[in-house]
Amino acid sequence: MQNDQHHLSLGPLRLQVDPTRAKTYALETGGDGLSAPLAYPAVWLAEPKLLEIIQDLCRSQDVIPVHESQSFFYTLELALGESYDLYVLLKHETEPSRLIIEATIKTTTNKLVATIETILRLVPHDIMKEKA
Amino acid sequence: MSCGITLGEKLPEVIIGPFDADALQRYADVSGDTNPLHLDETLAQSIGFSSPPVHGMKILAAFEPMLKNWRSELKIIALSGKFVQPILRGESVKLTGKVLRVSDTEIFVRLFAHGPQRLPAIIGEARLSPPTEPFA
Repeated sequence: MQNDQHHLSLGPLRLQVDPTRAKTYALETGGDGLSAPLAYPAVWLAEPKLLEIIQDLCRSQDVIPVHESQSFFYTLELALGESYDLYVLLKHETEPSRLIIEATIKTTTNKLVATIETILRLVPHDIMKEKA
Repeated sequence: MSCGITLGEKLPEVIIGPFDADALQRYADVSGDTNPLHLDETLAQSIGFSSPPVHGMKILAAFEPMLKNWRSELKIIALSGKFVQPILRGESVKLTGKVLRVSDTEIFVRLFAHGPQRLPAIIGEARLSPPTEPFA
């Protein structure tokens, strides 16, 4: 892991498209569970190494992460049961306060599978209450 | 024109939800997104929501089956969305889509998810490739 003032990179994290979890994820989002959902890599955002960084940042700044946008761009399909390497770049912007998570999924033989961008708006608790 | 798809074609609307507390808990369990904002009614109310907001990803992900049911022969190569307004627990969501661009290599679809509010909950887009295009 490397860290500078506002950027942090993580990975590769070797992760698997768990067939049971992928099927459950698909069924919970209206799919048939016969293939890996496009949005399945969202579950990898909850990987402990990555989640801890996000939670630590939010705790230290007393903010609530609000999902602002999400994108998935595929060059290869995800396969059920297959393992992949996840590379993550986290960028913390301050005005407005956002955490941008750029993830790249590659096969274990280094072929690009997908790129993913997650943007979390970091909203102070008091402002969140005013806006809701 | 590509695969008989025309510019301006509207995808069949899909209604999803309403989602109850059990549905949000199940999504949290499978996704790992256990942000208490989606699960804790007291917390949600403490910041001004009448009910916990539904995970945005749960709704965005629902566009995939909608797109597949529309044209199963197409490959979805990109899906994205901006989360504009929260959908709250107990609210239904209408998913719509319209073809905005068609070429021999790509179909671009604008997507919307609407709850009861005037503004859309999600403004999204999908890019699909015809079956003749190589997509491993």
